[in-house]
Amino acid sequence: MDIAIQIALNALIAGAIYSLVVLGFNLLYSTSRFFDLGYGAIAIAGGYAVLYFYKLLGLELWSSIILGIFIAGILGFCIEKIIYRPLRTRKASSAVLLIASLGVLTVIQAVLAILFTSQFQTLGRGAGESRTFEIFGGAITQTQSIILITALVVMTALGLVLKYTLFGKAVKAIADDEEVASIVGINSERMIGIVFFIGSAIGGMAGIATGFDTGLQPTIGLSLLLKGVIAAIVGGIGNVYGGVLGAFLLAIIENLGAWQFSGEWKDAIAFIVLVVFLLFRPQGILPK
Amino acid sequence: MEYLIHIAVLVCLYGILGLSLNLVVGETGLISVAHAGFYGIGAYVTALLLVGLGMNFFLAMALGIIASGLVALLISGVISRLRGVYFLFGTIGLNIIAWSIFLNWQSVTRGPLGIPSIPRPGIWGLDLYQNLQFLFLAAASLAIVYFISVFIKKSSFGRVLNSIREDEEATQIFGYATSYYKLAIFTIGAMLAALAGALFATYITYIDPSSFTINESIFIFSTIVLGGLGSSRGAVLGPLLLVFLFEGFRFAGFPSEIAAQMRMLAYGFALVLLMLYRPKGIWGTFRI
Amino acid sequence: MPILSTQKLVKSFGGVHAVDHVDLAFHGGKITALVGPNGSGKTTFINTVTGILPMDGGEIHVGGVVMRRMNPADVAAYGITRTFQNARLIQQISVLDNILVVLTERNVWGALFERHTALHLEKAGNILKKVGLWEKRNENAENLSYGQRKLLEIARAVSMRANIYLFDEPFAGLFPETIEVISDILRTLRDKAASVVLVEHNMNLVRELADYCYVLDGGKVIAEGTPDYVLKQPQVIEAYLGK
Repeated sequence: MDIAIQIALNALIAGAIYSLVVLGFNLLYSTSRFFDLGYGAIAIAGGYAVLYFYKLLGLELWSSIILGIFIAGILGFCIEKIIYRPLRTRKASSAVLLIASLGVLTVIQAVLAILFTSQFQTLGRGAGESRTFEIFGGAITQTQSIILITALVVMTALGLVLKYTLFGKAVKAIADDEEVASIVGINSERMIGIVFFIGSAIGGMAGIATGFDTGLQPTIGLSLLLKGVIAAIVGGIGNVYGGVLGAFLLAIIENLGAWQFSGEWKDAIAFIVLVVFLLFRPQGILPK
Repeated sequence: MEYLIHIAVLVCLYGILGLSLNLVVGETGLISVAHAGFYGIGAYVTALLLVGLGMNFFLAMALGIIASGLVALLISGVISRLRGVYFLFGTIGLNIIAWSIFLNWQSVTRGPLGIPSIPRPGIWGLDLYQNLQFLFLAAASLAIVYFISVFIKKSSFGRVLNSIREDEEATQIFGYATSYYKLAIFTIGAMLAALAGALFATYITYIDPSSFTINESIFIFSTIVLGGLGSSRGAVLGPLLLVFLFEGFRFAGFPSEIAAQMRMLAYGFALVLLMLYRPKGIWGTFRI
Repeated sequence: MPILSTQKLVKSFGGVHAVDHVDLAFHGGKITALVGPNGSGKTTFINTVTGILPMDGGEIHVGGVVMRRMNPADVAAYGITRTFQNARLIQQISVLDNILVVLTERNVWGALFERHTALHLEKAGNILKKVGLWEKRNENAENLSYGQRKLLEIARAVSMRANIYLFDEPFAGLFPETIEVISDILRTLRDKAASVVLVEHNMNLVRELADYCYVLDGGKVIAEGTPDYVLKQPQVIEAYLGK
């Protein structure tokens, strides 16, 4: 089996998951203008919801997944409503929002650890049951191909929605200037609520995909978030398709690094990418 | 009685960590969650020198502090150029990289197995094997760090730090090369955290990477937000309250795994509630 | 010879020259006014000269020497200081500390082992008394009124002991008594041979205070001379009233 092809396939799958993370992250960022650190934990909560319905309650796979996505969305929506909105209305500084979201991240991770232990758990039912395809000498499982297709569908759908629907135009208006948006009659608070629901639901998909692909652990929330942030910065923050590009680039670098050194250094490598970009190209790879 | 002494030692250690982090976060406004990384460097370097070379405790501790300071100096040359949320991500990365090294550089740190049987220090022929005697050492260290912290706050340097915290550009216009100031305080903070690390390693007599995770950094961060940013008294009060709370969970009979998660839950909630209702903390002088 | 002069100074934003090859000269012992309609490049000029914005072309000379390092901190070392249109105070420290911070040691090590002395306090006290803020010295700067904020910022700039002071609309929105206090401070600086640069919209004040006047429009100098002469020029009237 050709190692280069296997690395490329692994990077493709990781890139697909990171794309989901970054799509949700950029959506949230572009309207609320702050780095929601709780987002990664919400994504993982989606994964754990599937774990609960599918493996513990024994519900059917697809209905569990839909419930998981929905729960992530609702969670994001409620947190925005209870915590971030009051802070925004009183014009709290961005540092306050950031620290509050750090608290959200910590709380959700702790709750997940209490409910589901901090052990590593996977959503798949053992490696043998998933079919494997061979592509150019590399292996890809059925689950992985579903993840890949999902990411592509979400990416395209989100792009179309943002471009052609009234909702998309309203989101863009808020992203450009919230005050102007409210002057022209857009209820920006309500829109931000909806955006938090959709963004968190997309994050939930990423969390579920992670659960099927590599497995869940409460602390993965932070690392998933960081991947999203890094991809977003590499692609130019707030830029939807730039973020996807960043996600795949990050996945390639990470997988090359993991092959060169060892898998444990993945997070460290991701961070070096982040720092390099922040120092030398803070506006991202795409020209403005 | 033994148990109270144990809690008092913990309060002293977290007091040192809180005071030193307050210099960076509360006085200078650099939102850093890398403190556990420096704490860990101090602990590991001291432990390795004590166990591997049988070095004198104070010499080992001094080298641990210097090592941590050097790392901080090198790293902050890079990350002190980042601002606001990007600085925060830089510090998260720093902590993750430090932790990856503790965990993965197995030939030196023994990875997840940790370093056992670290000798307790002896001074002037007096063996600090007894916890009570160790408490004197810890309390004396806390007093020294408190003195240093107040000394810095009252100096002209401290006033410049406050000025950077609120308007870095204006401070530059006054003629201050602000990046050197940030570098200096970040390094001082890291060195004091390493002091706590050296004490921790010799007190518990065993260290492993799990004591120096990003969650530990978030914990230290939340202690000073609770106590009040920009206040030395607050930077001791906050750790005191949260350490007692945590020990309360253990005392109430939760198993230690759950108690650890309850601690996370508690300080996560503390962060959220403080941001919502009292961003200044208990004795804070600085409203972020 | 001017203390501060610019040669073909350029600052552009996305291809538009906000400061367009500007040659200005500011002399010691003179108050020089910079006037012009909104958006004519006055504030951008000050921001470029003080290193807040990187310049895109030209040269800046201080005391006959080309300024090479243009970080705000280096610019301060050349003896240039400024105020802002909206006073930028250090909000959450005391009024007194806002003055002390510009009086004390700049070097990191020096500052770490320095405490403010009686001499520092005396200097700070003098300037605070002059602007009538001595009673407020222990309040946080954020608790001051609009006029007091402007006064404190000017007091702070004066405490810098610079050679060149750039004041960006120091009088905007103030009561006549306060305007009088600030005018006095500006005259005192001039009498001490400093070069005072004044951005101002109120032409009566410009006539009263300024020795020389530059009119900017669209990033270019359209007229210069004494205030009385300049304000009669047809191109200046046109720039203000539109065509």
